[in-house]
Amino acid sequence: MEKNTFLHVRHISKTFPSVKALDNIEFVVKAGEVHALIGENGAGKSTLIKILAGVYEPDLGAEIEIEGSRIEKLNPITSVRHGISIIFQDFSLFPNLTVAENIAMGGALESGSAVVKWNQMREVAKKAVSKLGVDISVDVRLGTLSIAKQQLVAIARSLASQAKLIIMDEPTSALSKGEVELLFKIIRGLQADGIAVVFVSHKLEELFEVCETFTVLRDGKYIGTYPAAEMDNTKLISLMVGRNVEFERLSGKNIGETILEVKNLTKAGNFKDISFELHKGEILGITGLVGAGRTEVVQALFGLNKPDSGEIILNGAKVNINSPEEAVKLGLAFVPESRQTEGLVLRQSMRDNIVLPILSTLTKRSGLIDHGALGDEADKWIKEINVVPAVPDMLAGQFSGGNQQRIVIGKWLATHPKLLIIDEPTNGIDVGAKSEIHRLLRSLADQGMGIIMISSELPEVLALSDRILVMRRGRINGEFEGATADSESVMNKAFLADNKVG
Amino acid sequence: MKQWVKTKEFMVLVIVLTVIAIVSIGNPTAFLTTENIFDIIKSNLVLAIAAMGMLPIMLTGGIDVSVGALMGSASVLSAQFMINVTDNIPLAFVAGAISGIVLGSVNGFFVSKLKMPPIVATLGTMSVYQGMMSYITNGNWISNIPTNFVEFGKGYLFGIIPVQTFFLVAMAVLTWWILKYTFIGRGVFAIGGNTVSAERIGYNVQRIQFLLYAFSGFASGIAAVVRTSIFGQVDPKTFTGFELKVIGAVVVGGASVSGGYGSVMGTLFGVALMGLLENGMILLKIPTFWQKIMIGMIILFAVSIDFVRARRANAKQLKVDVA
Repeated sequence: MEKNTFLHVRHISKTFPSVKALDNIEFVVKAGEVHALIGENGAGKSTLIKILAGVYEPDLGAEIEIEGSRIEKLNPITSVRHGISIIFQDFSLFPNLTVAENIAMGGALESGSAVVKWNQMREVAKKAVSKLGVDISVDVRLGTLSIAKQQLVAIARSLASQAKLIIMDEPTSALSKGEVELLFKIIRGLQADGIAVVFVSHKLEELFEVCETFTVLRDGKYIGTYPAAEMDNTKLISLMVGRNVEFERLSGKNIGETILEVKNLTKAGNFKDISFELHKGEILGITGLVGAGRTEVVQALFGLNKPDSGEIILNGAKVNINSPEEAVKLGLAFVPESRQTEGLVLRQSMRDNIVLPILSTLTKRSGLIDHGALGDEADKWIKEINVVPAVPDMLAGQFSGGNQQRIVIGKWLATHPKLLIIDEPTNGIDVGAKSEIHRLLRSLADQGMGIIMISSELPEVLALSDRILVMRRGRINGEFEGATADSESVMNKAFLADNKVG
Repeated sequence: MKQWVKTKEFMVLVIVLTVIAIVSIGNPTAFLTTENIFDIIKSNLVLAIAAMGMLPIMLTGGIDVSVGALMGSASVLSAQFMINVTDNIPLAFVAGAISGIVLGSVNGFFVSKLKMPPIVATLGTMSVYQGMMSYITNGNWISNIPTNFVEFGKGYLFGIIPVQTFFLVAMAVLTWWILKYTFIGRGVFAIGGNTVSAERIGYNVQRIQFLLYAFSGFASGIAAVVRTSIFGQVDPKTFTGFELKVIGAVVVGGASVSGGYGSVMGTLFGVALMGLLENGMILLKIPTFWQKIMIGMIILFAVSIDFVRARRANAKQLKVDVA
């Protein structure tokens, strides 16, 4: 039997100040189908579901049709009225309220009454919970329930709001195996009631268990929609990684002795058995899906996340790094992913930002700041990192994203690091400026620095890394030589457990 | 019942009972007498009424530090109204309530419409209200309160309960009812739990915030007139620093400073604890500066429990699903 189309969106684009997150997307969901929406990090899945939730407004020209009628504009409330319900990773629930209230409040508010009818809310909530066939008391505080039960409450809330399409963002990421089975059983039940479910997930094996249809996005573009029967892991991954952006390959020239050795670094709930080496003049790329534990590992190196066990050996000596201050003293530098909030003081000048970590060395004998020396030092680094315009007095916040990243790098160069850790170096920077950051990083490595680069952008990892580590669920799942790695084998390691390739 | 034993409210109740036990043992003749108990109630009524206004604000994660100054202004304005306009008793309370609502709405405007951080907004209005009060009174006491009002304040219900107790009961029931049975009240909890989600499911967050500050003004206005009825005169300085006591009682009563948790019952226990400590220390002849130190320490303790819990919850969330 041909199913009716519930949702049909066309020409969906979304432009953020420096990035086009979605470019002319089409997406069709039929009533009662279980549909997987997949793509790499940054492919545009989150942006698309936020548009369907009415949280983001798409660019002009978007067409949204629900059950055949054209919808002019969605906002969070009208989206729910049209039967779309989204369960974000954090569930958007209220931990301090009862289950009944979490489930039934939205509907009760719509009634427009000023006074709360608790009995009615409890009835609505009980009905929704019993539809799921699970045993959850509606009178307990949500925060006292396990994550899996909270998720079921979120689904019950969707049912109570008469949802016809439930979109779940990474619904299984916090669930145990048994809980996942229960979730799938419930999803099949919803399906039988004609409710469509869209799954946004990275766990390909699980998707094949429940989904009938796959829609693949890549770099903000619509790649296609395919029936599950025609798909397998390998085909899906190749659809996700076929790239149109390529960067110039920049290999290391003079890779020298080992400067850092990490042995069996483990932290419960963060990462396990992480071992690798980093050499002088080398760029080590660490990639993997968001949430694979990459950032947690480098934070451990920088004294921001104390590991439970394992060794860090720096220049042949075992070290214990307990704070960023100690890390800096040992010659480490860390450029975090969110440079605007963690890396720069946006309302201070470029000069002041650059000298910030070495301020204590730029003093006169009296202990006061030596502004002459400070200016000279800043000028030196501004030249090195090649910021345009090279105006030391300009506020950091006034520079473009690419230049801001240079300033953060310059700030750390001033501390003369031997080892630079950089998390998502070109996140939110336009394509041209990305290549320039790549060249800057490569020239720093060629001058003898060791660089650890975390990146979700495969072309970037492939272009710049001398060696590549791929993390998956807290472990190193694959290691590649940068010069010979190809995108599909790297993605296989990011998505699939060792023995399940293909 | 089992659930209730785990709440912060229960913990505060246990502490209250412990304090009662200690003080009764230390001074068995003076403490557990009907007179002393109603004395304690009478001297903490004002605090409790004002705390009813503060509780909803703190439930949303906000704060109102202008409460002391606002009460001062409301007591001066209502006293002037009694002296110059009418000595009608209900109208005196209406005057106090209206002045409170107006001043509280100013706070509400800055916080909800201009999105100012509540502590900054109310710190600003606190100074304005204090200045306004000094301007009207010149710093002098107002002691020519109409005699019928003073007599009313000396009255008892059923010959034993101070007449002011009525206002506390009314205010506590009203606050409890609003928080439990109106969508504005549930919105208060929702905002405290997750502001973004509250907005998404259809609460008008701005309007609710505005109303809360007006409601706090209303409670403070009533509390101010209640105080005038107890003392028969108005000392414009008496409310200086009172906001700390009000906030302290709410926090000690188990409300979370980051919002979302707290109850009328807990707040009443919090007031009781503060009042009992004060009274008990007097009866046990402990120097008054110890009271301040004790109260400060209890507030710090109550708040630190909150922050330790929040940090643990946060640490839990940062987990990676390790294979």
